[in-house]
Amino acid sequence: MSILIDKNTKVLVLGITGKSGRLQTEIMKKYSTNIVAGVTPGKGGLEVEGVPVYDFIKEAMDNHDINAAISFVPPPYCKDSCLEAIENNIKFLVLTTEGIPEHDVVGILKFAENKGTKILGPGSAGLISPGKCKLGVHPPQLYTQGQVGVVSKSGALSYEVGKTLTENGIGQSTVVAIGGGPFWGSTQLNILKLFQDDDETKIIVLLGEIGGTMEEEAAKLIKEKVHKPVISLIVGKSAPQGKSLGHAGAIIEGNLGTAESKIDALREAGAYIANNHMEIVKLIKKIEDK
Amino acid sequence: MKLYEFQGKEIFKEYGIPVQSGILIHANDEVKNLTPPLVLKAQLLVGGRGKAGGIKIWDGNIDVSKIINELFALTIKREKVNAILALEKVDILREIYLSITFNRGKSTSVLIVGTSGGMDIEESTKLNKEKIHFIEFDPFLGILEYQIRYIAKKINIENYSEFKRIIKAMYKIFKEYDATLVEINPLAITPGGLVAIDSKINLDNQSYFRHEELFQKLEEEKKLIKDKEDSNASESTDDTITFVPLSGNIGVISDGAGTGLLTLDLISDFGGRVASFCELGGITSSEIMLKALKLVNGHSSLKGILVVLIGGFNRMDDMAEGIIKFKKEVKNNMPIFIRMCGTKEEIGKQLMRDEHIPVYNSLNEAAEAAVKEARGN
Repeated sequence: MSILIDKNTKVLVLGITGKSGRLQTEIMKKYSTNIVAGVTPGKGGLEVEGVPVYDFIKEAMDNHDINAAISFVPPPYCKDSCLEAIENNIKFLVLTTEGIPEHDVVGILKFAENKGTKILGPGSAGLISPGKCKLGVHPPQLYTQGQVGVVSKSGALSYEVGKTLTENGIGQSTVVAIGGGPFWGSTQLNILKLFQDDDETKIIVLLGEIGGTMEEEAAKLIKEKVHKPVISLIVGKSAPQGKSLGHAGAIIEGNLGTAESKIDALREAGAYIANNHMEIVKLIKKIEDK
Repeated sequence: MKLYEFQGKEIFKEYGIPVQSGILIHANDEVKNLTPPLVLKAQLLVGGRGKAGGIKIWDGNIDVSKIINELFALTIKREKVNAILALEKVDILREIYLSITFNRGKSTSVLIVGTSGGMDIEESTKLNKEKIHFIEFDPFLGILEYQIRYIAKKINIENYSEFKRIIKAMYKIFKEYDATLVEINPLAITPGGLVAIDSKINLDNQSYFRHEELFQKLEEEKKLIKDKEDSNASESTDDTITFVPLSGNIGVISDGAGTGLLTLDLISDFGGRVASFCELGGITSSEIMLKALKLVNGHSSLKGILVVLIGGFNRMDDMAEGIIKFKKEVKNNMPIFIRMCGTKEEIGKQLMRDEHIPVYNSLNEAAEAAVKEARGN
């Protein structure tokens, strides 16, 4: 077991003919991800890394068995492409694109919710279940199969922690990056629940950062519903005070969102607190020795 | 992009939201034909203008140019006053707070209505949660009639049809301008009807590709009154680079926000201080790396640069190329500490070896070395 993806995941790549789409398709294929088709409007009939390219998602769905998609489509075309994917019953979509207009993002997420499509992103690095499948841009050499589930906002931080765990002989079940926000199709809470239900995951690592209130909400969930050990690292403790918020933002966000408020909430919920990536290793070893 | 009050009010007028009549006064304008009473408002992008003395009333008792000169002499939160909006004074019976924005944590659109508006909206909502109402609405359906009726009843609005017209116009602006915030604080109930006393509109820079002409026009207008020495300008964010100047002596460049923040924490734990923080964003290039190095290198008290790279989208061959270009173009022997791994790391590291530029594998070691260098031991 692993969460969201495994050896049976059959992948459609949206925006497969672009620079990033091509390179990442090559790397995912090398990692044995089963990529069955790609879509770029106007490029139907081409092949990328041996993968057939279609003009429309429906054409790809008609010709292949597909149960997940990853998008590298640039911001101006992203909303149309996502709505097309959702309408065509893609049930899991990793949206790597950053810089999508906020009105488009809110529309995409609402439509996905209505139609029952799970979205990871936008601005997500995707996820990797080491040894099984990689649906995203995680550098595969940094990971190794094991029993620690990692969820992060930042892609880079999830690479850093994967690298640190692997170098210290600790394998991972699945490593997920949900994106830096401020909008999320899947939250830390959604991923924590999946890890709680996953037999293979024995320890959960939650990587958070300053801003917003998601970590505080995750703390509540951990206290009530997560019975596996959770180790949390919140980065940005030393970051300079952010820019002043507009009235509307300040009303919604209130006083929450500092590193202290997140760490306090998580500690109170029973999570182990790591001060940096190296301490995560120490805490895992301590838990395993118990 | 944040709009000035006068720009927002132009848009309000266009969409039928009532505003006071008024004129914009620039610093060197000759002021004549003004009749009291007037409200004189400094045009600034920062908040808290009223409390800082940026709004004056001229009742005719003294020379108006005296008040105008006082306002032009002001600098509020590092922003200098370069334009004043002179508005007819209206009698306010009651103030209401109105805005349409995104509820970021929940990824929804929301209409926010407060039973009382005014300068201290943040403070008053902390104290009186029941006085503020959040109405979430569907991005495809928009704000529905019953939702407006509901809120009008909640806050006890008598002139419903005018209230509805204003909310519908705000929503139209929100959609058509790709705004992330349309705020009226306060909306005044006056003997003559509802009037938007202030305007705050933020546009989404990410929607530039849909509104090229509009953005250019608004930028031109802003340039006319923007302070050239504006200290906010040193904090640059273009499409791919975030640059934040700070006061220490170690420049930090990272290719991801999370690792960047972790690096700041590590430097602080090792006893170092950061001169500036530069984040490249996920997809980048050798040119962007070069630009980032030059930006960070501009700091006067700089003792070293720490470059933290862990590429997913970002390719290490491109990054190596950018660093090598910088070394060749800027021959100042500034110590650079580089941690490089991730996508195409073998090629990147080989390029660095060819140029005899050392590369760290561990983030800790690179950060510690940079701190040691900066402290001179």
